[in-house]
Amino acid sequence: MRIVVAEDLYLLRDGLVRLVEAYGHEVVATATTGPETVEALLKWRPDVAVVDVRMPPAQSDEGLRAALAARREVPGLPVLILSQHVEQLYARELLADGAGGVGYLLKESVFDADQFIDALERVAGGGTAMDPAVIAKLLSSGSSTRRLGQLTEREHSVLGLMAEGLSNQAIGRRLFLSESAISKYTTSLFGKLGITDDDDSNRRVLAVLTYLNASSGP
Amino acid sequence: MMRQWGASACVGFVRACVVVGLSMLVPAVWALAVALWMWWGGGAWTWIAPFLWAGIGTFALSRPVCRTTRSLVATWTGVVIPAGYLRAAPVTRMSTGYWWNGFSYERTRHDALMDQRMRIWWRDPAVWRDLRFTAIAPLTAGVVAAVPPAGLVAAVLGFGTSWPLAGVLGLVVAVAAAPYAWRPAVPLAVRLLRPPPAAALAERVAELTSQRADTTLAQAAEIRRIERDLHDGAQARLVALGLSLATAEKLMRSDPDRAVALLREARAGAATSLNELRELVRGITPPVLNERGLVDAVRALALDSPLEATVDADVRLRLDPPIESAVYFGVAELMTNAVKHAHATRARISIAEDGTGIVVDVEDDGRGGAGVRPGGGLDGLRRRLAVFDGTLEVTSPAGGPTRVRMAVPCASL
Repeated sequence: MRIVVAEDLYLLRDGLVRLVEAYGHEVVATATTGPETVEALLKWRPDVAVVDVRMPPAQSDEGLRAALAARREVPGLPVLILSQHVEQLYARELLADGAGGVGYLLKESVFDADQFIDALERVAGGGTAMDPAVIAKLLSSGSSTRRLGQLTEREHSVLGLMAEGLSNQAIGRRLFLSESAISKYTTSLFGKLGITDDDDSNRRVLAVLTYLNASSGP
Repeated sequence: MMRQWGASACVGFVRACVVVGLSMLVPAVWALAVALWMWWGGGAWTWIAPFLWAGIGTFALSRPVCRTTRSLVATWTGVVIPAGYLRAAPVTRMSTGYWWNGFSYERTRHDALMDQRMRIWWRDPAVWRDLRFTAIAPLTAGVVAAVPPAGLVAAVLGFGTSWPLAGVLGLVVAVAAAPYAWRPAVPLAVRLLRPPPAAALAERVAELTSQRADTTLAQAAEIRRIERDLHDGAQARLVALGLSLATAEKLMRSDPDRAVALLREARAGAATSLNELRELVRGITPPVLNERGLVDAVRALALDSPLEATVDADVRLRLDPPIESAVYFGVAELMTNAVKHAHATRARISIAEDGTGIVVDVEDDGRGGAGVRPGGGLDGLRRRLAVFDGTLEVTSPAGGPTRVRMAVPCASL
């Protein structure tokens, strides 16, 4: 894959580059500020970009804004946002366009290199990779608890893992269940939530998140 | 015109009577004392007891008389005269078991309170202002205000006896003086009862001093907490991390399996310390507040809350960071209260500006009954806002709902 890395701290940038290169991917450009990130994303149109939220010049949310701006130009441009903290607010903004190809993870997710690369590839393929903490908060916040109250405990955890962006197969591995059992759960929970089932797993995830977004957002 | 004048004469007559009654209260006590002395024979020593009682009566009456005067002046003319009595500092128990009242140590709480009352009473300039007023008022405002009632008495007596001329004269005087006779009491009260400007300044200085002390204490406590968290958390974990890595390096060739296990442990430790640091940072200043400002930070807070919370903000304002932080943590505390104490399920937060500053309302549908109790959470919030001259209003009837308004004036708007 051709990858753009946007991160202002040298050590982290270097580490990220070495990590993805160790897995046989190519880093086509790096960026260290918000404007540079937009430029690099639009110029190189990478298969996926890894972007830090906080970057110069203002050290606020430049990276996030750069990613959103680039995705407005090129809808669905795959971006994986890395941050020291995860906020539902940002997750909702990233998912709002419903185009997929979005990831939002804590920086320490790179500790598990295999999983990180897996997430990166998922995002590159138009899927999602969301931090479990964000998903947990999303599923437990205000109105969604009541709406999701009709789900069984098992369906709830399946929904959570699905919202993180995992495939039925991966969910089955996590929960020690067969893939066919998982697909039974997904069918029943979609029925309960009134979402029409669909073969494309990424679209299903987006459907869940958009649904939650619409039902509990301010 | 006529009716208007008549009305003001009637009102004025009543007010004049009130002024006379109020200002003559203390002289009446003295008159009673003199009468008692006379009744006892007017001897050389019998005056002591009645006059002592009159003295005590004067001291006891001066404050209520002056309080009433102030409130009457405020109701009649709208002129507010601040009382400016010294306020008692809290009586606290020291670690030695003795009680400290701001002036001295006492063995019991009762003693400390009595001693404090005496000292405050003795040192308070407002007490002496009150006494001065009760002495001067009867001779000035009291005499003037006595004209209409005296005129009326003269009229009644004049018509009752065979002096109609005196009666007519008394009536004319009473009616003509009625609208004006009570008025001299107002400037007199303003002049004698108002604390000097220095006192108002002194009060403000005392307020600021106590606020500064609060802020300094809070800051010091906060820094100590951060130091402790870093010392026991991240620092200790990094030491452990270094140890694991060093051991793993040593074992790399001799026992690769154990080395791998140690490395895995080190990775878990790094993840844990990152988590701890993240929580610590959130407590100092939430990152989203830095990145997006107050409105989005409150939105993020509402999203993370177990309450069904809505945020109305018509302004995309960026305030001074200290104010943003104080207001943010205020909202966070109110939301926590709504969940923990009020058992609310919904909350509404609105952020607006009102020309002089920012106004934040937090409303929940919980069971209410919240109040600003000394030393309580809301009191702490009030103090933190007071540092910026901000205010906290709480309406929380039992049974709910609770409405809290935080208002902070901002120059940056």
